[in-house]
Amino acid sequence: MSNLTMSSPTPISKSSGITPTPPEDSNSQVAAPAFDVKNLSIWYGEKRAIKDISIQIPARTVSAIIGPSGCGKSTFLRCLNRMHELVPRTRIEGQILFNGENLYRPGSDPAMARRRIGMVFQKSNPFPTMSIEENVLVGLRLNGVRDRHVLNERLEKSLRMAALWDEVKDDLKKPGMSISGGQQQRLCIARAVAVEPEVLLMDEPCSALDPIATARVEELIRELRTRYTIVIVTHNMQQASRVSDRTAFFYVGELIEFGETAQIFSSPRERKTEDYITGRFG
Amino acid sequence: MTFSRHILRAFDQALESLRADALMMASLTDRNLQNAMTCLLDRNAEICAITISDEKEINALEKKVDGDGVEILLRYQPVASDLRQVVSTMKLGSNLERVADQAVKIARRSRNLTLEPELDEATALGPLFIDAVALFRDGVRAYADGDVTLARSLPGRDRELDQMNRDIADNLTARMAEQPDRIPDYLHLLFIARHLERVGDHANNIGEDAVYTAEARDVRHPNNLFEVA
Repeated sequence: MSNLTMSSPTPISKSSGITPTPPEDSNSQVAAPAFDVKNLSIWYGEKRAIKDISIQIPARTVSAIIGPSGCGKSTFLRCLNRMHELVPRTRIEGQILFNGENLYRPGSDPAMARRRIGMVFQKSNPFPTMSIEENVLVGLRLNGVRDRHVLNERLEKSLRMAALWDEVKDDLKKPGMSISGGQQQRLCIARAVAVEPEVLLMDEPCSALDPIATARVEELIRELRTRYTIVIVTHNMQQASRVSDRTAFFYVGELIEFGETAQIFSSPRERKTEDYITGRFG
Repeated sequence: MTFSRHILRAFDQALESLRADALMMASLTDRNLQNAMTCLLDRNAEICAITISDEKEINALEKKVDGDGVEILLRYQPVASDLRQVVSTMKLGSNLERVADQAVKIARRSRNLTLEPELDEATALGPLFIDAVALFRDGVRAYADGDVTLARSLPGRDRELDQMNRDIADNLTARMAEQPDRIPDYLHLLFIARHLERVGDHANNIGEDAVYTAEARDVRHPNNLFEVA
């Protein structure tokens, strides 16, 4: 049982004095952000993993989160759909507004948040006993959809969206585990989009894939961004620069810089960002 | 801004080697320009031949800087200040090769002039030569030291060089009217002045790249308001 409390935003003094650079482009300022995170802090027991982060993630864009291991990027990602609550002794402070609504409103259902905000994990995880079709439709069935016509329509649509339909349309009854690693990861993306979420969170979705499978998933991310808000955590900076519109750099639980990806990788404003992306850390 | 070393030492070594080759190339180009000046002012045909011959070394270095730069892009995929440094160094190589080209063209024309009686107007190109070489050296210094203040002083000095070139061209044109039998020789001087003016342009380009390297700012064509989206 997680020890989850949600308090109102409280000013927290920064230990390092680092001030995150606010994004400059007008897009994120004018358009309503998908996520408006205010003074977010997260503890695992006594350890504070995220330190007073404020960030606005624009809707229908790809935002990449980069940073060294242990910087809190996966923790932050999991907060965006309340997955971190599954970790014991987690505590959160601050506020996350999702489409203007408090994601942690008292009494709100975490499962509903996770349906609207889907997640794709580092390692592809199709349900081993299920067929390709059952893997895609499992979320819909759990949500009570029984109409065969609707299910068939959503099955094809989701697999097409995941750029997998042409490869598996004749093998839908085969086990989800019978296809290649890259196809399994796209199957997981199909499963995530089948419930028609508004956001896709991706935690290193290509780290276990070969370059060809990686390219397919990256191409898919670029296509999905017209429909979804995508937040991707990646250790691969070339991947961040290829697929994302905006990039955030996290370091020891702090947001150091968030800006246009081209700007972050050509002329970062913060010295820590420069040192990290050019390989001078350590 | 000074940076600490990369975790990957081979990357540091590759960057240092690229920079060393570019600076060697700058040094050879400087020598070629000096020799070109000696060709003209001392009417030394032997130095003219050396200047023309030395271009091969500079051309070879240009190819090496380009090749090594591409290899760094391939192997290390540099970003931010590293990427700017590699791109600027490759552009420096191109600019240096073109300055060396101008030196060779000056040497060729000077060699032709040594075959004819001396023209007094040749010495009038001395100050233009000195200013062009000074501008070139400061461009290279701005790149080598990341001296943005020095780099930003170059466009004004380049404009002064342009004006000197125009004044010399006016003077030479007037002389051609007075001495039509020496028109080919005056044309050589006219073109030498033009080559020196081009040296100033390349020095200015090098300075612009120095600003880009240090500040990630594109200062080229400041009066051109047209932007390609």
